[in-house]
Amino acid sequence: MMKDVAGLTRFNARELFGPLVTVLILSIGVGAISASLQLAVQFALCNLVMVIALQVFVGNSGVLSFGHGAFAMVGAWVSGMATASERVKGNALALQELWQPLIGFRLNLYISIFVAMALGATIAALTGAFLMRLNGLAAGIATFALLGLFYNFFFNNITLGPGSQALPAVPKFQGIYEPLAMALAAIVIVYFFNISSTARSLRASREDLLAAPALGVSIQRVRWIAFTISGALAGLSGAMYVHVAGTWQVQDYYLVFTFLTLAMLVIGGSASLWGAVVGTLVVTAVGQILLLWEQGKSVVGIQLDLPNGARSLIIAGSLVGMLLWRFAGVTNGKEFSIPFSGRRKSS
Amino acid sequence: MGLLEVKDLQAGYGKVDVLFGVSFSLEAGQSLGIVGPNGAGKSTLMKAIAGEVAMKSGTVQLQGSPITGKKPEDVVRLGLSLVPEGRQIFGGLTVTENLMLGLTGRRDKSSAKQALDQVRGLFPVLNTHADYQAGMLSGGQQQQLAIARALVADPKVLLLDEPSLGLAPTVIMDVFSKLKEIIALGTSVVIVEQRAHLVTAFANKTLIIRAGKIQATLTPEDAKDEAALRRAYFGAGA
Amino acid sequence: MQAILDAISLGGTYALAALGLGLVFGVMRLVNFAHAELITISAYLMVVTNDLPLLLSFLLAALGAALLAIVTELAIYRRLRGTGPAIMLIASFGLSVGLQKSYELIFGALPRSAAVAPWMTGSFEFAGLNFTISSIVTVAITIAILLAMGYLIERTTLGLQLRAAATDFKTARLLGVRSNRLIGSAFAISGILAASVGFILVVENPQVDPMFGLNITILALVGIVIGGISSLRGAALGGFIVGFILSILNTYLGNARVYAYSYLFLAVVIILLVRPGGILSKRNEMERV
Repeated sequence: MMKDVAGLTRFNARELFGPLVTVLILSIGVGAISASLQLAVQFALCNLVMVIALQVFVGNSGVLSFGHGAFAMVGAWVSGMATASERVKGNALALQELWQPLIGFRLNLYISIFVAMALGATIAALTGAFLMRLNGLAAGIATFALLGLFYNFFFNNITLGPGSQALPAVPKFQGIYEPLAMALAAIVIVYFFNISSTARSLRASREDLLAAPALGVSIQRVRWIAFTISGALAGLSGAMYVHVAGTWQVQDYYLVFTFLTLAMLVIGGSASLWGAVVGTLVVTAVGQILLLWEQGKSVVGIQLDLPNGARSLIIAGSLVGMLLWRFAGVTNGKEFSIPFSGRRKSS
Repeated sequence: MGLLEVKDLQAGYGKVDVLFGVSFSLEAGQSLGIVGPNGAGKSTLMKAIAGEVAMKSGTVQLQGSPITGKKPEDVVRLGLSLVPEGRQIFGGLTVTENLMLGLTGRRDKSSAKQALDQVRGLFPVLNTHADYQAGMLSGGQQQQLAIARALVADPKVLLLDEPSLGLAPTVIMDVFSKLKEIIALGTSVVIVEQRAHLVTAFANKTLIIRAGKIQATLTPEDAKDEAALRRAYFGAGA
Repeated sequence: MQAILDAISLGGTYALAALGLGLVFGVMRLVNFAHAELITISAYLMVVTNDLPLLLSFLLAALGAALLAIVTELAIYRRLRGTGPAIMLIASFGLSVGLQKSYELIFGALPRSAAVAPWMTGSFEFAGLNFTISSIVTVAITIAILLAMGYLIERTTLGLQLRAAATDFKTARLLGVRSNRLIGSAFAISGILAASVGFILVVENPQVDPMFGLNITILALVGIVIGGISSLRGAALGGFIVGFILSILNTYLGNARVYAYSYLFLAVVIILLVRPGGILSKRNEMERV
């Protein structure tokens, strides 16, 4: 009966190395096929980190968050601003009103990424302090407000950033090894958090909101801890994104990003780390195939004519379809296991 | 053929089964008690009969017609009302509004007014506190409201799930005497309770349920025999 | 004075939006992001039927929105009943995006526009002050609809059932309330409310694109959270407050008006810190969701 319980309880090498090896092999393998696929892999790794960030909080607590895009936004902003070339910052049209010190602001790439994580964690900690007092549903809606707030701020502010335009000339990762390493590190961090007693207490509250306090668990506190950690990872995801895209644009971290990563989490299964990996994998793969079809190309000999924009529609449809069919996602709440077969009928 | 016939009822929640083949029958004009310890499946039984919980197997017949698998809103219209555990009155609505809601399940709307007058006669508090918010009533008053609310739907069978819960002894006596009147007026009653002696002395027949099965049937005479009662309730060796 | 009128007008509009959302939430614990698409389809329908008489155009829009609402309930939300608010929230998010993309495919990504009710533009003088016609008409419409809704909810059997179901759906069923019909009614009414919001918005802003109803829906949701998530009155009140504050901010912030949303969200944060359950709730009340 214990095996049916979703969520890790103690260290199991397979459950950690399964996702690690899968991500490693797929990234290197697919990334080697072509340049455009390598770019797709890089973006997928950014999304993966965000989906993992969501899993840490949403998966363990059962509380929805639409606000993680805000942490990514901020993480990307600080890492992009700290690494974009000074010449561009001083001269670009979009940055004419930029606050002087920001022009000279310069950090090493890796340090800027750490700063991004720290900033994400800090903002999550501060906003989480009050968000976690709300019940699940209200918190979910309030996180939407959080996302909107940051979007509105960055969109209109031209002292701290390019406003609605792009910050160009952000250094890009060469190849996939850097984002891959970061993604793998994220997996390790989240795995060890998920087997910690904090995460277990959090999952207890997910199952039964009233029983958990009776066990001495302070729901607010464990939620807050998970929220902060997920904020750090979301910041990381944003920082990775800005170095894959080569520019910072506030729209990149808003609704589409939020929807896509949430879809990945739901389709894969929010209850487990493996679910996050599978979800990202499936949605990225399907998205890529749909993109190729939209462009008129054929995939393994099959060719479909898709109108532009059908891609998002199909992904949205898949999201809803998955919820109707099996709302624990493809993985049905399970962690990685060998042999990977025999899907349980969800109750 | 009894008014209410339950045969081999099996029910549970998800993968967990709670009832393992329960059968009983209730005659018209009679009262039936169902007692048992916590977790025995009493509430599940009531909910399954009323349609709130899906049955895995078995049949329920009301006046000879099957009501197995029907939705609660349909079961009410066929003449079976459940007063749920904890009363579940709508605290934010007034007493009268709660009563009006009870009329939703009433088949014959033309006689609604008489029904309302009748329950108001049975439970004067419905008049004195008509416009009060139901959440402000005392436990006993809420219990009366819950019963009245179920009665205005004109049920042939009234199921009560732990009506004495949280009530003081004098209030409980009052509720039970009202139930006697209700039976006299033509509604048969099934009462689920944890307090065995209360119901055993009251009902025509009492069933003891434990671990999802009926273990024994008692009559009011048995209520006087403490030892036999305990044995039946807790099982041999208690 | 005009500022106050504008604020009331916007507040009323947001109250209608919030009420539509609150109705569906009350019976199903569903936060329906797709409500935005109900507003959008109403606006599209009014734009494409603009050559018809206004009343007919509006009726078509209301019918379309109500139908869409009912279809989404039948096809999707009905299957998700009982799975929990989080699942339904995500589903509604997915549905919302899906509908937006569908609108893109049907109507095109570029905005469609038409001058709906052009008699509502312009202003007139009264007691020495200038007032815009649209704000007066909007206030009148929203008051009328809110009063009608109030009557429906407080004084009719349907309203009673809706209120009961919002408190305790299971027990309402035990008393005979027909769940499917009730939920269908709630969705249909929410569609009509969405259409009225769509009408008011499209008069002000005749450019209708697939994301037309998104902004107001998000803010209306925030309004519901402020007002008290499980009460219809709270929903309308919360929506009103959000619209009111937003309008005042827009008027008085001058150049900083672009930050109106940021200030609004900050105000929301403060309100929620003091009253996590919403303004109409008691202190420290955690809703049973």
